[in-house]
Amino acid sequence: MQNGFKRKFEPLKILTDSQIEQIHTASLNVLDEVGFKYESKKVLKLLEDHGCKVNYDTMIAKIPPSLVEWAIAKTPSSFMVKARDPEKSVRFGGNTMYFFNSAGARYVDIDTGIVSMPTLEQNNIAVLVSDDLDTVHAFPSYTPYFEIEGVPPVMSCPVSCAQRHRFSTKPSRGAQPTDSFIWETQIALAVGAQLMGCVEGTAPLSLAEDPCNAAFHYLDADFPIYIASGSIMGGSHPITIAGASVSHNAELLAIIVLLQCIKPGCGVIANNFVSAMNMTTGDLNFGTAAIALHQMAYNQIWHSYYKIPINNTGSAFSNAKIIDYQLGAEKLPLAMASALSGANLIVLHGGVTAELAYNPILAIIDDDIAKTIGRIVEGFDVNDATIGLDVIREVGSSGTFLNTKQTRTMWKTEDYMPKIFDKTSYQEWINTGKKTVVNKAKERYEEILATHKPVPVTPEQDKEIDRILKEATEYYKKKGLI
Amino acid sequence: MNSDILDQLKNTVLEFDIDSAEDIAKKAVDSGIDPLAAAAVLTDAIRVIGNKFGSGELFLPELVCASEVLKKAFPIINEAIEAKGQKQTSLGKVVIGTVFGDIHSIGKGMVATLLYAAGFEVIDLGINVKGEDFLKAVKEQNADILAMSALLTTTAMEQKNVIEGLKKDGLRDRVKVIVGGSPINQEFADSIGADGYGATAPEGVRIAKRLLGIEQ
Repeated sequence: MQNGFKRKFEPLKILTDSQIEQIHTASLNVLDEVGFKYESKKVLKLLEDHGCKVNYDTMIAKIPPSLVEWAIAKTPSSFMVKARDPEKSVRFGGNTMYFFNSAGARYVDIDTGIVSMPTLEQNNIAVLVSDDLDTVHAFPSYTPYFEIEGVPPVMSCPVSCAQRHRFSTKPSRGAQPTDSFIWETQIALAVGAQLMGCVEGTAPLSLAEDPCNAAFHYLDADFPIYIASGSIMGGSHPITIAGASVSHNAELLAIIVLLQCIKPGCGVIANNFVSAMNMTTGDLNFGTAAIALHQMAYNQIWHSYYKIPINNTGSAFSNAKIIDYQLGAEKLPLAMASALSGANLIVLHGGVTAELAYNPILAIIDDDIAKTIGRIVEGFDVNDATIGLDVIREVGSSGTFLNTKQTRTMWKTEDYMPKIFDKTSYQEWINTGKKTVVNKAKERYEEILATHKPVPVTPEQDKEIDRILKEATEYYKKKGLI
Repeated sequence: MNSDILDQLKNTVLEFDIDSAEDIAKKAVDSGIDPLAAAAVLTDAIRVIGNKFGSGELFLPELVCASEVLKKAFPIINEAIEAKGQKQTSLGKVVIGTVFGDIHSIGKGMVATLLYAAGFEVIDLGINVKGEDFLKAVKEQNADILAMSALLTTTAMEQKNVIEGLKKDGLRDRVKVIVGGSPINQEFADSIGADGYGATAPEGVRIAKRLLGIEQ
């Protein structure tokens, strides 16, 4: 099992108990009075059987507070996702923190910022690189690229899932659109792995038919579920952080209610992907203060109050088009805010140019950032050995600590020394060709390609994946989607 | 009296007064003023808002709220115009919508509002618009321009499907096609046979004018 990072201190709290109660109560009011739209008659019937007031014409179910509270109580505080390689399995929850690969629609040339459709080979290489990176603990669906050259759009999720399982042994999240969950479930089972199923709502206050179907399918396969309700403050959610917190909370709780009604006790990780709006263009703004505050409040409510595992996506993207100062300045504060406030999973590695592009070179740099963040949340020990009063006495006012056993044995664990960031002296930097962090990451990239050999799937598993993809292709052809 | 009510009508737009828009529009019609004059002040007002948005003085919330005022006031004024057998002039007729499978409305709404502010007649089909509905609207409205938005990479190809539908129905030569949305670029627009691509809403308006040969 991958251990991730263990947070050794209490998560940062930005809300008072009274404020948490206000947000929670308002969320219950929304679900009870306004209700939630589930675009599935099967779901509506199930919820009606559990005490919801259902209007089949509008497809809105009004959910009583008692059912919401029941569903929260039924959701476990941690759960495991079994990877193809058991050593790479993960357990989400508690004070454990993992990192999730980010994603992009296209490949971005990091020198020019020009984006292009990635080839299947570029996709596979990006998966392989992330497989090598210690801090990419798992992959979301659609990663690393949303689109792959030569792959029909409807097949992009199944093919992406297949390649992640072929080029990595780490756990993956499944997808939900257009029945992709059928094939992704089969692929995961064929290689002896679980997926995190995906059930994503559509803000405001609705869940389309695809995720409703995906919920039944993934739970039937005994997979835990990743839930989300991506939105934009001022667009699909209120502009205020408090209002957006209530809307978002209500949406995720409505999905939790559905999942627990289908399979009481199922494992769930709840994602926060609420963005800010660029009020000039209507586009998504990443890396803003409001997103950080929204995530921190959310983490406090879900970690401490609901005790349900949580994911944050705020640090997955930046509006920067290349790897530059803006990119770091937009991603790092969000990732740090997530880590300090209790996130169990943080999306970070490789996403550039909003959701438009991805590059594995950035994933390599993000690996160093993730290790630094991980080291921070692990805190430090305070005991006789770490205080080392005897060492302080011995060195006194004229010696050095460099030649002590304490320094020799503890320096590597007390701090994390980045591998990619430039830590050379100025003169050394000049003499070695003025390498930037990007140059060094490119060198590391070449090294990974030359040396990293992911554990392959067996020939039988490979053949079975091909068969599943072929069946999926035929299925979509019959539906007229290819 | 007439100028008072026209000022009030104009101010509903300039002050984003969505709640009063219907009442004031009804009041204007009941006062017996020329409905074309009422339409003109609304158009002038949204042009002011559009220009301020373009110059960065106003932002999206103001543009959208001003547009909401028009949605409330215009049906009432238009009804009066039709009742009198009058007709408004416009730079051209635009059919606009977000393609099938896509429910993003902000960018499309911005372009629709700015096109209207620029003097176009705009028929907004909304979001998640099926190809056949675009084709039907182009045909029935005798549109000069078809503007399609797609915010998802997975729905961008729907723009191509609609263009292919225009060709199949013999409508392609009758209408100029503009495409937009975050996954769209000039290369994609060229590849699917669109006439124009706008990276921003104001650019979309400039392209619409250029395609119809309107001096800018």
